Parts: sequence; structure tokens; C-alpha cells
Amino acid sequence: MNLTVNGVAREVESGPLTPLLFVLRDELELTGAKAGCQQGGCGACTVLVDGEPRRSCLTPLIAVEGAAITTAEGLGTPEDLAPIQQAFTHHYAAQCGFCTSGLMLAAQAYIDHGGIDDRHAIQEALSGHVCRCTGYVKIVDAVAAAARGDEFDLTVTAGSSGMTTGGVR
Amino acid sequence: MKAVGARLPRYDGIAHVTGRSTYVDDVRIPGTLWVKALRSPHHNAAITKLDTSPAEAMKGVHAVVTAADVPLLVYGHLSALGIPGDEPLLASGEVRYEGQPIAVVAAESEELAMAAVEAIRIEYEERPALFDIRKAFDPGAPVVHEWGNWYPHFEGEMDRRQIRKGDIEWAFDKADTIVQGVYRPAAIEHVPLETQVCQVVPEADGRLTIYSCTQALYFSLGVVCAHLQLPLNRVKVVGGTVGGGFGGKVDTATETMCALLAQKSGRPVKWRWTREEEFLCSSTRAPWHMEIADAVTKDGWILGRKMLTLHDSGAYARFSPYGLTKHSFHHAGAYTIPNIHFDGYVVFTNRVPTTAMRGFGVTSVSFAVETHLSRIAVELGIDPFELRLKNANRIGDTTPNGVVLTDPSTVPTIQAIADAIGHELTAEYRTTTGDTRSGAFLPEHLVAQLGNPEDH
Repeated sequence: MNLTVNGVAREVESGPLTPLLFVLRDELELTGAKAGCQQGGCGACTVLVDGEPRRSCLTPLIAVEGAAITTAEGLGTPEDLAPIQQAFTHHYAAQCGFCTSGLMLAAQAYIDHGGIDDRHAIQEALSGHVCRCTGYVKIVDAVAAAARGDEFDLTVTAGSSGMTTGGVR
Repeated sequence: MKAVGARLPRYDGIAHVTGRSTYVDDVRIPGTLWVKALRSPHHNAAITKLDTSPAEAMKGVHAVVTAADVPLLVYGHLSALGIPGDEPLLASGEVRYEGQPIAVVAAESEELAMAAVEAIRIEYEERPALFDIRKAFDPGAPVVHEWGNWYPHFEGEMDRRQIRKGDIEWAFDKADTIVQGVYRPAAIEHVPLETQVCQVVPEADGRLTIYSCTQALYFSLGVVCAHLQLPLNRVKVVGGTVGGGFGGKVDTATETMCALLAQKSGRPVKWRWTREEEFLCSSTRAPWHMEIADAVTKDGWILGRKMLTLHDSGAYARFSPYGLTKHSFHHAGAYTIPNIHFDGYVVFTNRVPTTAMRGFGVTSVSFAVETHLSRIAVELGIDPFELRLKNANRIGDTTPNGVVLTDPSTVPTIQAIADAIGHELTAEYRTTTGDTRSGAFLPEHLVAQLGNPEDH
């Protein structure tokens, strides 16, 4: 089966019903996508399939044959971070980090689809993702900043906007 | 002090956003076997038959471990502090909570490990279960623990954490009114995004390397070595990157069983709990039952507090005696109460054992105390901020367990909260400070409890 993963053509040998998550993690050794619940409930396994966020734990390999897959490793490197990665770093939007790659990919898709600095729209776009460290305010801050096209100074972290994510006060 | 107040970048921030942080599940070890557990479907039952031979006979199953394989079966999470153990690593002869592990298997694949668990033959004789800590003391209640229904090993072999201070009879005689309340926060599952996971590698020199998501690496090292009866230098625990813990990864949940399987099979093993296991079988924050009766004056002084706490430990003690001890030290909250009568019990039930979670033992009592303070304010018809500021800890005040406070921040904290939400305080309460009590804030009944911080 053939895939393009992070811009590189890959031929994989996993069975056709193998969840994409384990093709990535176990065969291709790309461990950025996480097995959080393996039930489609938490969003930690989210990757982009032809630019759309998808739960890789529920996506059989055969359903994505020929597709272009993007994982956290494909967004940017430590030396050349993508804006969304810079935004998450500068805004301290990762605590334990386990949900981070899924959230960043959902955020990347939101921005690629023309999403703007609108907290409610961002919340809607990220609503399928659980962060149990409850860092939602800073996550929304980061996505809003990336959507605005902010420049990020990675030698410091930003303060929190102090805003709630809406409806929780 | 350059770091104080600075907004420093986090040292693992770039690793997190590039998907390169190595969590336990991300460690790649060739030839790893999968681990699955046979778990109790019952809350309380005798095991009348256990036969693992069908699982052992399956091709691709490399090891099955039961209670019979554990060098030291019963050990406690607080045993290193001299507290006797009560929990078998794997159930032996009986199960006391749904989800309790009875046998673990290591097999070539996750599916095969699940099939091997299914193949184990087991029979149970169900027994009455106990879930409500309030019923644990009833004469007819089922006895669910070999020590009885509550923990009997506090200092001096006391069966409760007891605090007595001042003259509680005097306080209740002198009070204008008694304000009572009962507070019952429920169990909470931590739900870390990363479920319990570990990998154990039997090294060529006979040592074991354990990759663990533990929050308490040295506890895990001690617990593993105790059960396996190994010196500490035979085990290396690699931790550090935890995908959320919140207290739920303080208990040694997986490492010991995996270490035994690695020893027995001679192969690396990995156990990653499913989300269902995490919800059903991992320890939770405890449910609590707290009863408070405060002797108060009509102008808002708390003369005395009687409190009863029941702490649901689940089926075994684990860290609960420690959690209740912290709870007891904080049961007056951030307030000075000179006369105290506190009894707290660690109660056993047929629930999953409970553990730390964000403010172990203290979150529950803070919820109860603050709700109770508000209740007093309503019953007396006085301002809840002024009630709190009046009784708030100041320098020289003593806590229920006799600690003289040197620098309590209660008064400025409450004033800052009032300020933040626009709550008007009268001049007397706006200007009072956390300094040693004097004037209107040193009534007769608090004179005797003033201590000298210099002595501490």
C-alpha cells in the first residue's frame, strides 16, 4: 500500500485494516500521534489526511491508500518550526504534551481552511480534542495568534489572555 | 532570583510541539511481548478455581504470572515507612474489587494476549459487597478487609486519626448557635490522556530496565524491588515524560507485574492499558464523607469545631492513611479555631483503591470548610468575607495540630479576592492585616492559643 507521509512517498506492509495510527507508530516509527483512547474520543491520534483532520485510531489503512498524511513531525523541525508550532511554544499551550500533536494538526487545518482569530470558531474547530491538563485558554490563545499571523519570540513565553474559553465561567 | 517572574521557555516545549518527546509508549524495543490481565468481574468474591494451563499451552504465549509467582506477594505502598502491607500484587484466593488483577500474560501480540486471558479457567463464589462508607460501621455490614472495615494502624495502633485541642465542651456551651453541615464529594477519575503504560526489558547482565509513566519513580523502584525481593541495584527505572498524571500515576500500577513477566519470559514486555481499563481499574480520587458542627457566636467567631471524616480507601490502604493525615491537618482550613475535636477514619469498601489527586486529602476538606464558612455566614446573616477575615489565620496563630504560623497569607488573599470581584469591605476589614492578633481581632477566647513563631 502506498502513502505519502510528511511529503515522502512510503510503501507500507501493514494489513489493510490496521489502524493508520499503528501504521504510523509501529511500522513507520512516527510516534507523534498518540493512542489516547483508541475509540475516537480524545483526539490525541489526529493527523491530517489530504489536509483534513482525521482520527487515525479509527481510520483503517485501506481507507487512506494514496493519500497525503501529515503528522506533527511533518509540520516543522526543531530548527525550522511551523508557525503553529511556534505559537504553541510561545503561548505555553503544551503542558504534558500528549494531546498537543492532535490539537496542532486540527489547528493547522482550521487555519489552512481560512480560519481567523475568532475564539468561538477556534473552540468549534478544536472541540473534538481533550486536554486533561485543562490548558484550553492557552491553546486557544496559541491558535488565535497563529491565525493572526503573529511573529513569535521563542526565548520567552506569553502571559495568558486570561479569557475563558467561553461558557465555562 | 533571575528566574522569579521571568517568562522562560519550557525546556521540553520544542520537543512537545515537534512530536519528538519520548513517552513510554514511544520507546521502540524489538521483540516486545504484549501484556494483558485477567481481572475480577466481581466486587467481592472467593476464587474457588484458577487454572492458567490452557493459556500457558497457547502458541505465542511466553509467560503467565499469578500470585504463586510473586516472591513477596503482599506489600504496601507505605511499607517503606513501616506501615504494614495489605494488598497482594495479584489476587490470591479472593478478589475485593471489580477490575482487580488475578493473572497477567505476555504474548506475541495484543490479540493473542487477550485470547490467552480468555482461555484462563476461573470460578468464583460471590460475597456481599460494601460500597457505602457510612454503612461500613453497621453491626451487620459485610467485613471486607482482613483488618476490619477501617484502617487500624495509625500511630499507637489507633483506628482513627484523632485531633483534640483546647476545651470543646466549653466552646459548645459558650456558643450562641451550632452550625452543622455534611459534605460528600464523589470519586473522580484522573483520566490522563496517556493511560497507564510501562515497558520492561530484561538486560543481558540480569538487571531489569523499566520504562515507566510513574509520577513517583523512587516509590516504583522500591515497590518493584520489594515484591521481586531484589536489591535496588538490580532494577533501573526510566521515567520523566508523563502524559498527564494528576496523582493517578503515584501508585505502582503496572511495573511490578511486567517485571515478573519479563523475568519469566526472558523477553521485553509492554503493558498499555486501554481507556476502559483506565476508567474501571485505575485508582481514583477518593469519595469522602465529612460532618462538621461548629460552635459559633452571633458576631461570627468560631469557638470550636467537631468534625467526623470518613475517607473511602477502596479495597486496600495504599496511600490513604497519608491522605487522611494531610486532611486532618487542614480541617480548620485557613482559619483559627481554638477548640477542636476531630476524628477521621480510612474506610475500606469493595471499590477500586483510591489515591492522590491534586491536593491529596486537602481538596475535599477545603471544599467542605469553605462551603461551611459560607453556610455559617448565611445562618448568622453576616458578610461571608468578614466572617472569613475575622477568623483568618494570622502570625502566631496555631493550627489544629499545634503548628504556630509564621507567615500565613490568608488575610491579604481574602482582601485581594474581595477587591478582584468588587466586594466592598468595611474600613475595619479592609485595613486588618495578617500580623499578630490584637484589638478587635484578639478576643478573649483566642488569647490562650497565641504562640510565638520564634519558637518554631
